[in-house]
Amino acid sequence: MRRGRDRWMILGGLYLALLLILAIFGPSARHGYLDQVAEPNLPSSAQYWFGTDQLGRDMFARVAYGARISLFVGLSVQLISLTVGISAAVIGEYAPSWIAGPVMRLTDGMFAFPDILLAILIIGLFGRGTLPVIVALAITAWPSMARLVKTQLASLKDREFVIAAKACGASTSYLVVKHLLPQLWAILLAVSMVELAGTILAESTLSFLGIGVQAPEPSWGSMIESGREVMNSYPTQLFWPCLFLSTTIFALSFFGDGLRNLLDPKSG
Amino acid sequence: MQVARALVSRLALGMVSLLFISFVTFLATILAPGDPALRLAGDKASPEVVTRLRHEMGLDRPWPERYLKYLGDATHGDFGKSYYGTQEPVGAILGRELPMTARLSCYAIVGASVFGILFGTIAGVTRDRWPDRAILLFSTLGVTVPNFVLGPLLVWIFYLKLNQLPESWSPFRPLPDYMYYIMPVTILAMRPAALLTRLTRASMIETLQQEFIRAAVAKGVPRFRLIVVHALRNAILPVVTAIGTNAGYLLTGSFVVETIFIMPGVGRETIDAILKNDSPVVQACILITGFLFIVINLVVDLILPVLDPRIRESQV
Repeated sequence: MRRGRDRWMILGGLYLALLLILAIFGPSARHGYLDQVAEPNLPSSAQYWFGTDQLGRDMFARVAYGARISLFVGLSVQLISLTVGISAAVIGEYAPSWIAGPVMRLTDGMFAFPDILLAILIIGLFGRGTLPVIVALAITAWPSMARLVKTQLASLKDREFVIAAKACGASTSYLVVKHLLPQLWAILLAVSMVELAGTILAESTLSFLGIGVQAPEPSWGSMIESGREVMNSYPTQLFWPCLFLSTTIFALSFFGDGLRNLLDPKSG
Repeated sequence: MQVARALVSRLALGMVSLLFISFVTFLATILAPGDPALRLAGDKASPEVVTRLRHEMGLDRPWPERYLKYLGDATHGDFGKSYYGTQEPVGAILGRELPMTARLSCYAIVGASVFGILFGTIAGVTRDRWPDRAILLFSTLGVTVPNFVLGPLLVWIFYLKLNQLPESWSPFRPLPDYMYYIMPVTILAMRPAALLTRLTRASMIETLQQEFIRAAVAKGVPRFRLIVVHALRNAILPVVTAIGTNAGYLLTGSFVVETIFIMPGVGRETIDAILKNDSPVVQACILITGFLFIVINLVVDLILPVLDPRIRESQV
């Protein structure tokens, strides 16, 4: 059982490494992702590995660009969510109550909103596009990060090394930065990995609905939407973005779960 | 008496959540760029008309007053007017679209609970043997395959290849209505069903290891009765709580499903309104969807004490 789990984690990690290479080099390696390079709706060939789309653009380059967008949006959102979440948790745990109280109330309140509903509201009123998607998803992502960090901070509060550091006269900011946060990076990394799957899924959902990443920039979600229109005659245009999106979500959750079990055995 | 008090406190919590959601949707419109009066009057309107409209709409009042008015109007079903076409009242749009979304969510939540609990129990009882392995594989797929990937896939199989189910909802429907619900509800229910399956399995395995089960086995309780009456009754409690938290997935999914199958519901209306920059409709749709989410959670919270006498007694 244990060995099998490791194998899945390694497979997931390997896939993600390849995806990263694809995202960096793929969009312009053979053909530009925005260029009309050939006849529309061509099948796969040695020249156009995944064929071409309705406008004669290279599907391989577009799928690769979709990987870049997904990873870019996902990682930006996780970075913002980590920064805001950690700040909110530290404020909630250590700041005087007149500021800690409202911050924690706000964090709890955010849970009343179903995750993607708030993102759709923000995008609906402030505009569509890649940047609004990042902002909207970051705003919905930070509360769960804040809650996680706060629980972790609270559980470390009475450990000997914390008491010892305090006895030596460590200030709160020194204690948090030098002693507490270094304890958390491993679990936070693993959780971010699992959350990344959710963020990428949310981004492609919004793009599928037409309110996320906007044309002509390709995203897996919008490629699935346009592939759907021609799925009777050219099902491969639907197939490739679906395959990559599903595999990526799959790989991220396996890799993230594996990482969490490895770094924090008691939570598994 | 105690049950009544618990009921009141749950309702109060639901009201607070609802107030929070209404405040956020209100705040979002205040912060959003663009002047509602200008949008409603049109570009060609004279400044005097716009000023009069601003006054009539109360846009020149301070925001706390506007929020209270917004709340008061909303309780009367008045959400303002759409910016488009005949400037139809948003309340009327919601009244037309809400039944479809509510129906889809209800079917999906019932379907997901029934199948999730059934398969989860089977998996838990046959732990590590082939039925368990097969169910685990399917539930992993159900959690990871996005609904807008599953949607086209099902349409491809059941409409294009087998031609057994209709492609999408339409005003004119030659087949019986339930045929049009099969694919949307399946897609909507898939992810919650998969999550509930995993949860039921874990909960079942844990319950089966407890002492009272061993006592029941020793007493000679028949196997079926042991599983359903003794084990499942206990194992099901955390699952019921999870049904409420999974309602969020349903609402997200309804945006996707209504788009794929062109169904007249709140989800598709929201997306249409966003694409047209029709802010009052966006705001009201989000508010009503959030309201639906809270109501589902409230219902689940109220079911729990009915199932578990321990909660009934501890609720003071």
